[in-house]
Amino acid sequence: MEKNSGICGEAKDRYEKLPTDLPFDERVARLEEIACAMRKNVVDMVYAAQSGHIGGALSAADFVTALYFDLMDIKPEQPHWADRDRFVLSKGHACPIWYSALALRGFLPVEELKTLRKNGSRLQGHPIATYLPGIDASTGSLGIGYAQAVGIAMEGKFLAKSYKVYAVLGDGEINEGIIWEASLAAAKYKLDNLVAIVDMNNLQLDGTVGEVMPTEPVDAKFRAFGFDVLTMDGHDMADVLTTLSKAKHAHAGKPICVLAYTVKGKGVDFMEHQLDWHGKAPNAEQYEKACKYMEGAKA
Amino acid sequence: MSLVAAKIPTRRAFAERMTQRGETDKEFVVFESDLAKSTYSFLFKDKHPERYFNMGIAEIGTVAAAAGMAAQGRNVVVCGYGVFITMRAVEAIRSFICYPHLNVKFLSSHGGLTAAIDGVTHQSTEDIAFMTTLPQMKVLVPADTTAATAAFDIALETPGPVFTRLMRDPMFDLYKPDEVFALGGSKIVRKGKDVTIATYGDMVFQSLVAADELAKRGIDAEVIDFYSLKPWDQATLHESLKKTRALVVAENHQKRNGFGYEAAVWTLLNCPVPTELIGLEDTFAESGAYQKTLEKFGLSGAAIAEKAAALVSCKI
Repeated sequence: MEKNSGICGEAKDRYEKLPTDLPFDERVARLEEIACAMRKNVVDMVYAAQSGHIGGALSAADFVTALYFDLMDIKPEQPHWADRDRFVLSKGHACPIWYSALALRGFLPVEELKTLRKNGSRLQGHPIATYLPGIDASTGSLGIGYAQAVGIAMEGKFLAKSYKVYAVLGDGEINEGIIWEASLAAAKYKLDNLVAIVDMNNLQLDGTVGEVMPTEPVDAKFRAFGFDVLTMDGHDMADVLTTLSKAKHAHAGKPICVLAYTVKGKGVDFMEHQLDWHGKAPNAEQYEKACKYMEGAKA
Repeated sequence: MSLVAAKIPTRRAFAERMTQRGETDKEFVVFESDLAKSTYSFLFKDKHPERYFNMGIAEIGTVAAAAGMAAQGRNVVVCGYGVFITMRAVEAIRSFICYPHLNVKFLSSHGGLTAAIDGVTHQSTEDIAFMTTLPQMKVLVPADTTAATAAFDIALETPGPVFTRLMRDPMFDLYKPDEVFALGGSKIVRKGKDVTIATYGDMVFQSLVAADELAKRGIDAEVIDFYSLKPWDQATLHESLKKTRALVVAENHQKRNGFGYEAAVWTLLNCPVPTELIGLEDTFAESGAYQKTLEKFGLSGAAIAEKAAALVSCKI
């Protein structure tokens, strides 16, 4: 069993933000436990909807968990609190993982997760700000969420607010020209309140990143655009927590880019590294198999 | 009707008002995409540099970042050329400004063929089709500098996205400084009883030339300036058509999916009358002097008069 998958307790409907005085090892262990519940929600949601992007939601599970249950300052009871940290899921198709975080943090009932992609649901196929408290920017058209995050960070600087803006990008998404337009502006306006996390799961719809549109070296590209670049193993919770804490506390007058090296489909063995699981829903048999695997991971 | 040549174009009048409003209204910011000297947004920058963001030659990035700021409750004016704003950045406008109904206002210069000299790449001749099609978007096209000044105020005070089409070249003065404009309003700039010429922007002036020409032929044309294209003043058009029973729509835009299509369909459904449309005939124009280009592509006052006269003759 993978390091972060063997120690989950019983999944709960609500997890609070971890207390700040908790020792590091314990924080890591608690976050790993929550990440398990987050993943299980993703599989349940996409199965219930029979539609959705499971692979890229699972690859982002660990760092989204670290942000929502440890690092970000948010108040679920006051979703529009002016000083809250902002989160923009620029790779909007991965929203099941975000909806799961919002539910487990208390922005919406966990029960509602099953309405994903259904008529009348607040959980639209791609996240829409006006539908659900806790969503700071509508996304779903790749690249545009990130540029909105740059605008949100500009507003933060303009008002001399101390909030951080965390934007999650796909490694395929950075094919989009707008990423680089917005990055130029982020450096120009010295947005050290912006943390761009690139989910480096190495798969996009039509193949590997290298096959579809080679983007390496991504670190050198962001550095050349004026960013401080950090890298982390996106599934090693200790590394995730250490790296994102560093990003959270950085004030170097430069935007920060975190390259999160991840595995698409992480947490469900037969989905890992599989291009096929970019945007497919499991059938009943596959769902059973996934659940069993995840249960096993808990044992 | 004799008109006095304007000293400045509508793009400048709009930017001047923006700068002036910036003195008292500290809540809005301005985004530019490296056209400050042309959109005249530099006037705002000179007075209020702390509220001015030049995002470079990057229209979609500019529009999306404006959306990010606007989503925090900020009022943002985005400046640029119509052809780039409405086509290169249209998806960002649609999904991330119109859909969430954000307070982003567009100073869109070089509307229609007033950028004739710059060539087709700079002529915004499909912008009205794109912008009026977007749910929640409001669209204004001031004909003169007085109307452009008022358009800025309307844009700033109207909740949600507002697109204002402005002209590259100075036209003529039409309205008195104290003239009152409102979202959804129109102005009857010439009263008449034989044919209604519904128009907007620079084409108001061509339509007035046409009305003079028609008068020589004994045809009394009514000219209405629909400076608010969305929403537009259906009641005034209806009243006019009840009287004239003939409609000509003249616009500096593609005929297809322009205001002519909108007004003609409305007329067909509500008070069918003989109708003629004037605009670009599913074609691109070319570089040239403004008036010569209008003439070449059938948008001049003389062309409007010809079509209106033919329409009136078949009416009876």
